[in-house]
Amino acid sequence: MKHLKIKASFVLMIAMILFSSLSLFAQDMTTDVAEAAKSTASNINWLIAGIAILLVFIIGMIFEILTKVGDVQNKQVINWGKINRYLALVFLVVGMSAFAWEMVVHGKLTFFTLPAASAHANEYDNMFMITLWLTGIVFVITHILLFWYTYKYKEDKKRKALFYPDNHKLELLWTIIPAAVLTILVVRGLIVWNDMTTSKDKDAMNIEVFGYQFAWNARYSGADNKLGKYDFRQMGIVNALGVDSTREFAGDDVITTELHVPVNKAIYLHFRSKDVIHSAYLPHFRVQMNVVPGLPTKFDFTPILTTNEMRVKLENPNFDYILLCNKICGSAHYRMKMKVIVDTQAEFDKWIKEQPALTAKGTETNSAHSFISKENPLASN
Amino acid sequence: MSAAAIHSDDQLHGDHGHHKETFISKYIFSMDHKMISKQFLVTGIIMGVIGMLMSLIFRLQLAYPETSFPIFETILGEWGKGGKIDPNFYLALITIHGTIMVFFVLTAGLSGTFSNLLIPLQLGARDMASPFLNMLSYWFFFTSSVVMLSSLFVQGGPASAGWTIYPPLSALPKAIPGSGTGMTLWLVSMILFIVSSLLGSINYVATVINMRTKGMKMTRMPLTIWAFLFTAILGILSFPVLFGGSLLLVFDRSFGTSFYLNEIPADLAGGIERVGGSPILFQHLFWFLGHPEVYIILLPALGITSEVIATNARKPIFGYRAMIGSIMAIALLSFIVWGHHMFITGMNPFLGSVFMLGTLIIAVPSAVKTFNYLGTLWKGNLRLNPQMMFAIGLVSFFISGGLTGIFLGNAALDINLHDTYFVVAHFHLVMGSAAIFGMICGIYHWYPKMFGRMMNESLGHIHFWLTIVSAYCVFFPMHFMGLAGVPRRYYAFTAYDQFNVFVDMNKFITYAAFVGGIAQLIFLFNFFFSMFKGKKAVQNPWESNTMEWTTPVKHLHGNWPGEIPHVYRWPYDYSVPGHDKDFIPQTTPDYGQTDPLSEPKVVPAEDRMKLPTLEKEEAVLFSLAKRWLGFA
Repeated sequence: MKHLKIKASFVLMIAMILFSSLSLFAQDMTTDVAEAAKSTASNINWLIAGIAILLVFIIGMIFEILTKVGDVQNKQVINWGKINRYLALVFLVVGMSAFAWEMVVHGKLTFFTLPAASAHANEYDNMFMITLWLTGIVFVITHILLFWYTYKYKEDKKRKALFYPDNHKLELLWTIIPAAVLTILVVRGLIVWNDMTTSKDKDAMNIEVFGYQFAWNARYSGADNKLGKYDFRQMGIVNALGVDSTREFAGDDVITTELHVPVNKAIYLHFRSKDVIHSAYLPHFRVQMNVVPGLPTKFDFTPILTTNEMRVKLENPNFDYILLCNKICGSAHYRMKMKVIVDTQAEFDKWIKEQPALTAKGTETNSAHSFISKENPLASN
Repeated sequence: MSAAAIHSDDQLHGDHGHHKETFISKYIFSMDHKMISKQFLVTGIIMGVIGMLMSLIFRLQLAYPETSFPIFETILGEWGKGGKIDPNFYLALITIHGTIMVFFVLTAGLSGTFSNLLIPLQLGARDMASPFLNMLSYWFFFTSSVVMLSSLFVQGGPASAGWTIYPPLSALPKAIPGSGTGMTLWLVSMILFIVSSLLGSINYVATVINMRTKGMKMTRMPLTIWAFLFTAILGILSFPVLFGGSLLLVFDRSFGTSFYLNEIPADLAGGIERVGGSPILFQHLFWFLGHPEVYIILLPALGITSEVIATNARKPIFGYRAMIGSIMAIALLSFIVWGHHMFITGMNPFLGSVFMLGTLIIAVPSAVKTFNYLGTLWKGNLRLNPQMMFAIGLVSFFISGGLTGIFLGNAALDINLHDTYFVVAHFHLVMGSAAIFGMICGIYHWYPKMFGRMMNESLGHIHFWLTIVSAYCVFFPMHFMGLAGVPRRYYAFTAYDQFNVFVDMNKFITYAAFVGGIAQLIFLFNFFFSMFKGKKAVQNPWESNTMEWTTPVKHLHGNWPGEIPHVYRWPYDYSVPGHDKDFIPQTTPDYGQTDPLSEPKVVPAEDRMKLPTLEKEEAVLFSLAKRWLGFA
């Protein structure tokens, strides 16, 4: 019976190989030349997948046969304990090398090396690096211990394990040390969090970011630096954002599809959604806030690098900042983004004055206005 | 059958003749905890296979966003028109993948299987406190699985608002097609699931509290039982909140209320203007379950591995009391940290600080658990069988995934990491892979108890190595995508120049995912083949101390023939000095110990506490470290 089983498996294997190669031919014969190239490529993928599965089963079968042989001869031919012991070491060494490689090679693609584009981003990156170092050290040490012990203390019939059920000093030690390290992280984290969430500059420029399925709008508060009130019943009727231009502060508001901000100036973003929850994510500025219908949210930040400066730094002339949607919101969620441009103050002034406000009078006020807001008496109240 | 007969210790069981069982009462509407646990397991495995297949489909989409796969049109029809997955269906896939994996596989499949199997067996009970509730629990679970899968076949497709189903997206069918009938079925399924979970949990707690055999003090319970007990308590306290939350969502969807909706114009919301609710309220209710849910998933896995590591290290689990303490601490803390999923919803920053504090404190009991695992391995005599390897794998994932939790629990850092692939990597490692490894570890360990046969060891080892390598290859690179700001739940990244650098990484991840999928085929083959053709198991194949291995290999209704054995010691008397064998089952009395409640005196107190001397290489390392740190 045992032999039969093995034979049957081999027959199955051969049948599978035949089947996969036959299906290859069958596809080739039915398709025309242009498509044949494509389908051969995909067939080769299938073939590779098939061979991979077969390989695994063959390896499994070899082990099975060897185990059976061992059973017959009454000795252990395959010592899985021994194999695992060495594989654990290999896994440790290869894994740790891969970890280091990832950190160096893929780390470059992340913000480890990207220049910080907002005032708080440096503080943020420092916090991140401290956490990364602390957790990285723990990660490496615990993994070395874990797989080293697996290697070192593999079963030996001659040996007995050490009966060592507890040690209060040790327990205390490894409760207090993590607690102390975490205290550092918590305290520092709270400081950074407070800095990031407290608005520092009363003169910040108020801009509304309006999200809807599946695009963004920005609304500038204009010369008065005050956003006019909206009415959600008017959305899509008076304009997309539902801002009635006749209401107080609304006349000089400017609605755009790109977000332009002046460099080195505090920007106060007010978020609003028309339909479902979106999330406004500006990865280069370390800024993110959910955009919730019927619940005002806000975030303030100060960009410190203009788009042009960033392009030079990254040596990428096509670079642009983005604001993207980071909360699942529907079928085109993955395309819901807005271009963000950080201008110099002069560029920004020029740009905003070219944009039509909600009323002609508002446009006029805006073009007469200096957006260097420190001197602006209207903005300070 | 009479409840008295089941619960009485003195009654001789098995030769009563009232167990004339039909096929239906034995295999379908069974009230035997061992059969119910197998039902949970098989249903869980089937759901797991479905969940995994879904992930492979969307992995293909992420790796080859521009390529057309004609096979998709064949199997998915309209959803795969022209061989391309529909963006709406992509969202449906990730939603149902998440729901299935979190609830159906890792909650019901893990807890349902092992709580049912082990609570009576390891505590010395004839069956659960209420076998009938137990049966109901399974059938509610089964119905809920069927309803969930049936949502794949309705007009508009299954729920697609993400497994967290945040309204208004989940409340407005106009916003996404999946929020039509599919979402209704999702909610119905979830409500049935909660009923199942509650019936099960109440039963587990009642059994653990009331039905331990003589001598099985709480402090002699194996750590598995401690973990199941706290899992059940977490479930009882948190699932009803999701029940309430889901019910309010049902009202919003079907009866025109506005619990979660504010400033939604009438044309979007079925003709009724919705004002006055709060979408964030749902998130609070959801995560009040959602966070404990993470531990409902993880704690049983940790309990299982504690048991498996101790047994196979032939060594008592290090710091038994500290392990219980850390389970309790994790369970308690898990209730006050749900807000860390909501740092950037616009809630008061002060509230964020509080949630951040609680979240980072959880790292302390988790660290204690990790160090205790390492302490158990140290100077052990490790039997590196598949379950032990999976347990070691769990510890590895628990460390890697747990450490990234320190980033995400930090409110400040969360601002830039929230909802990116960093989060995906984090939770797939710490609660996905770790919990799955715990579950598989449990399956390898208790397979002989469930089916009376052994699984094939070689296949088990191949399964292990392929799985751990592929899991790391899939999830580790994702951290870097997250750090570069790549958002999760994106159908394609083709619209973003700066994410193009990750094209190769996405392909690599997909290849690794397929290798992982193939590895699971080996497991499935091993699982079902061994059920019929595996080597016959002996009574105590792993030479374990716990009580389940004192029952006969052939399942009996009532578990033990004759009287239930008494328990005389804690479950971790492995390699006790001065004892000829390296294990002493819990049911073995000490010399002269007649009262099970008295403590055995095998190990002199001074021997228990004596610190062993360091070995040569460790001593060298220590002295080197001392010198580096400037102490010597």
